[in-house]
Amino acid sequence: MLGIKIPKYKSISLKKDFIEYKSPDKVYIPLVNGYDTDVTILVKKGEYVYKGDMIGKTKGLFRVPIISSVSGVVSDFQEMSYAFGDTVKCVVIENDKNDNYKEDKEIKKNISDYTKEEFIEILKDSGIVGMGGSSFPTYVKYECDKKIKTLIINAVECEPYITADHTIVKNKCQEILETIDAILEINNIDEAIIAIKNTNTELKKYLDDFIGTYLNIKVCLVPDLYPMGWERNLVKYIKKKQYENIPIECNIIVNNVSTIYAMYEALKYKKPLTERIVTITGDLLKDPINVCVPIGTPVKEIIDVVGGYKDSNKILLVAGGPMMGKTVSENLVVSANLACVLALSELKNDELINCLRCGKCVEVCPSKLSPVLIKDNVGNKERLKELLPNRCISCGLCSYICPSKILVREYVNKAKENIKN
Amino acid sequence: MEIIRKTGPYIKDDNNTTKIMFNLLISLFPIILFTFYKNGIIPFYEGKTNVIEMFYPLIFIITGALTSFVTETIYFKLFLKIDNNQLLSTVKRSYAIFPGLFLSLVLPINTPITILILGSFIATLVGKLLFGGFGNNIFNPALIGALFITSAYSIIIANNGGYLNKLELDTISGATPLANTSLVEGIGTYQELVSPYGTLKDFFIGFIPGSVGETSAFLCLVAFIYLTYTKVIKWRIPTVYISTVFLMTYIIGAYNDLGIWYPLFQILSGGLFFGAVFMATDPVTSPTTPIGQVIYGMFLGILTVIFRYMTSYPEGVLTSILTMNMFVFIIDRICSKARFNFSKSKYLFIACWSLIIIVSMFIATSFNKDSTETDPNFNIISKDVSNNKISYVVTQKGYVGNIKASVTVDDGKIIDFKVIEQNESFYSKIESDDYINTLIKGQDNLESIDTLSGVTVTSSALKRLLINTIKDYKNGSKENIINEDTNNSRNNFEIIKMEDNNDEKIYYASNLGFRGKIILKITVLDKTITKIEIDSSNEDYMEQMIDSGFFDNLVNNQNNIDSVDAVSGATVSSNAVKELLKKFIKEYEEYKNE
Repeated sequence: MLGIKIPKYKSISLKKDFIEYKSPDKVYIPLVNGYDTDVTILVKKGEYVYKGDMIGKTKGLFRVPIISSVSGVVSDFQEMSYAFGDTVKCVVIENDKNDNYKEDKEIKKNISDYTKEEFIEILKDSGIVGMGGSSFPTYVKYECDKKIKTLIINAVECEPYITADHTIVKNKCQEILETIDAILEINNIDEAIIAIKNTNTELKKYLDDFIGTYLNIKVCLVPDLYPMGWERNLVKYIKKKQYENIPIECNIIVNNVSTIYAMYEALKYKKPLTERIVTITGDLLKDPINVCVPIGTPVKEIIDVVGGYKDSNKILLVAGGPMMGKTVSENLVVSANLACVLALSELKNDELINCLRCGKCVEVCPSKLSPVLIKDNVGNKERLKELLPNRCISCGLCSYICPSKILVREYVNKAKENIKN
Repeated sequence: MEIIRKTGPYIKDDNNTTKIMFNLLISLFPIILFTFYKNGIIPFYEGKTNVIEMFYPLIFIITGALTSFVTETIYFKLFLKIDNNQLLSTVKRSYAIFPGLFLSLVLPINTPITILILGSFIATLVGKLLFGGFGNNIFNPALIGALFITSAYSIIIANNGGYLNKLELDTISGATPLANTSLVEGIGTYQELVSPYGTLKDFFIGFIPGSVGETSAFLCLVAFIYLTYTKVIKWRIPTVYISTVFLMTYIIGAYNDLGIWYPLFQILSGGLFFGAVFMATDPVTSPTTPIGQVIYGMFLGILTVIFRYMTSYPEGVLTSILTMNMFVFIIDRICSKARFNFSKSKYLFIACWSLIIIVSMFIATSFNKDSTETDPNFNIISKDVSNNKISYVVTQKGYVGNIKASVTVDDGKIIDFKVIEQNESFYSKIESDDYINTLIKGQDNLESIDTLSGVTVTSSALKRLLINTIKDYKNGSKENIINEDTNNSRNNFEIIKMEDNNDEKIYYASNLGFRGKIILKITVLDKTITKIEIDSSNEDYMEQMIDSGFFDNLVNNQNNIDSVDAVSGATVSSNAVKELLKKFIKEYEEYKNE
């Protein structure tokens, strides 16, 4: 089972074209990549940094640079909310609004004119990570020895509300196709497949207009299901293959389409990843819209710029989509993996009813788990070993579908912890 | 404005448990209305019941549901000490009416209301509350109640009229179709199994005897579609369950030369549709894993078929579901692992399929094809054979007792048919319609002759009588002539003892006669029978037989026993003696060859 059909709510943020908001007074660059908050800080308070300067580097398995998205003076270090829900330490930079780079950027005429080594070096230096949410460093995918046969470009965006990928494909279609073509040539990849939802006729039209000259790039329409954008689902649906851990086992790489555009900026202008498109939407926003902002922009400021909230006593501020996102406090800042900010009215409190064992959570689970049984056995370690809660991808479908409104995913999360200890 | 934190996801499916239960109730409405129509309104209009009795089906169902509701309310109040202001919402969230509601639908219509109340109480308390209430019970509560009632009060219910409503009591002999089927050991002709109740269409629509709510397969099918569409039930279970029963009974039927009507009859009887759609899919007591639901359905089918054919308990559906309830835990455990591993689940299915085939073939081959062709309601009292002409005196079970008739068959044609004795209620209708002549005229295609409305049972019995007689004739009269009170004695021949008297050997052999055992003393000298004497017998006309030289004739014609004429007036006894002698000679011949 690839997933189920869920409501989309996408059109509300597509009514207006995306806008750019490039000059916040202060940016708060989160010192984090993914869950990795162990960062070497490379700047001091009071120091002037150029746009694109490395201000920190993660110490973990993969060294990912933390890059300044504006030029200005480091004024402070401050705890702010981050896309994954927790607060993290951020570098506060007073924006001088000059967008000064340390050195003048030259424009590469032909972006396929790189060797594979140079290409990987650029990805590494530009701090390009998966912008779909994982923040997995992109260079690692290309660095392996295995022959890459297929590059799948993930533009499915299966979470409701989010239209950031949609916006970038619509507005940067040519650039994206050019980048894909360059990646194929540099890495000697046979083909690229752009995956979009079969209901997304608008994107299909844009892609069809430009794709003609790129013989190795195809568009694949995937079913309108959630979580269709999960790597495993895409590989399974498009290439009919299943892998154990990562897609390269089947000679496949999957990249998010926003990541591809970040690669374009890096290859073409040597610009590191300093900005992204964020969907600002939800039923409590006056004017839902997509905004292109520098990393580290406070979300509160963006919301003010786009028109603010509707009148409401209570508000759910969600970082990410409604399925996998988490509520955050108002001092959320934009990070590379933050595709969407939702302002939703509070869900009505459903009466909690005993589990009636309808089995719907089992039926919908894309990882073939049995969430109800995991919930029953959440304290039984032996049984949990059979039920493999670690395969959960936290897609949230079990909690979504539960007619008794039980937060099934939380039980699975608890089981994951229990099995670790 | 306040920013609140909450655990996601932040959109939820708009289905909820209360909606599910509400939809379940909606799907039951047509079924409740149908039973009101069939068991209330029709008997009322036929003048069989009064106005109050007309509403009995509705009162019955409401009482069942209400008892559950009250039981649960009292339990919550007294034992769980729930405040009055929360009591109603607690009972509501526990969906209290369902055990009693379903119970009332699976019971026979003639269950006394006091027994229903007791059963509904037991169902709710033992089946549900003692397990920990909604969501925690292992067994289907309604079925716990039904099991309690059928094991404790089935005789009271049967004496009260059982499954038949007031109208059916007058028109249908016997019980439910499956109880009727068990009389013929599972296999019978269309006329035996289906015709007494109408056509297969009546089975499908639901105008057959059965429990209060479970006769209409059609309405259950409608409910199934509705419940699947509204995502209420685990659709795999009823689909697989009914298909499995169909497949298995198809195999059994096909092996025994029965047409497609036979599996259809099997799936349309015994409340299979109701049980499969409503009882087997009870979410709390069925597997949660999709593979588990398929396996569960397969096993339900296998068990139901086993119960129907191999036990004396014809209504196998409810028993199968209760039995399988016990295995839900283990099925889920196995199938939650099998989900991760395609080949594992493949083996699981291969195992189930093999089981289905093996069980069906085992049952299919267990029927002796010859015995399936004999009608237990038909007996041959006597037959007079002369050349190709046989004069029979036979009985066939009618509506009231046996119908006794004489039938003469010559060259395969019925040339005479007279009813000698009958106690049928409306026999004048048979006479006024000249049904006897209709049968004689249409003897080449008796099966196609319609029964007479109003006297269905009697007319169909007369028809069966002729069909069975002709069958006996065509079988070369191989059939033994059976006394009315010794139905099952077919092979009672035995050689009791042997005495050696020099060269003479004296055998004592016995066989069943008209009135119990006949023992003959047979003297054999030099491999030839020299003397036949009666050692003991209770037969009526033994003197007459001896006087007529019957035994001497037998000795003289010992190489061709069949050519000896029976003693008139003592046909049955003579034939029994002949039969005995033939068997003895056969046995002796075998002994000689050794």
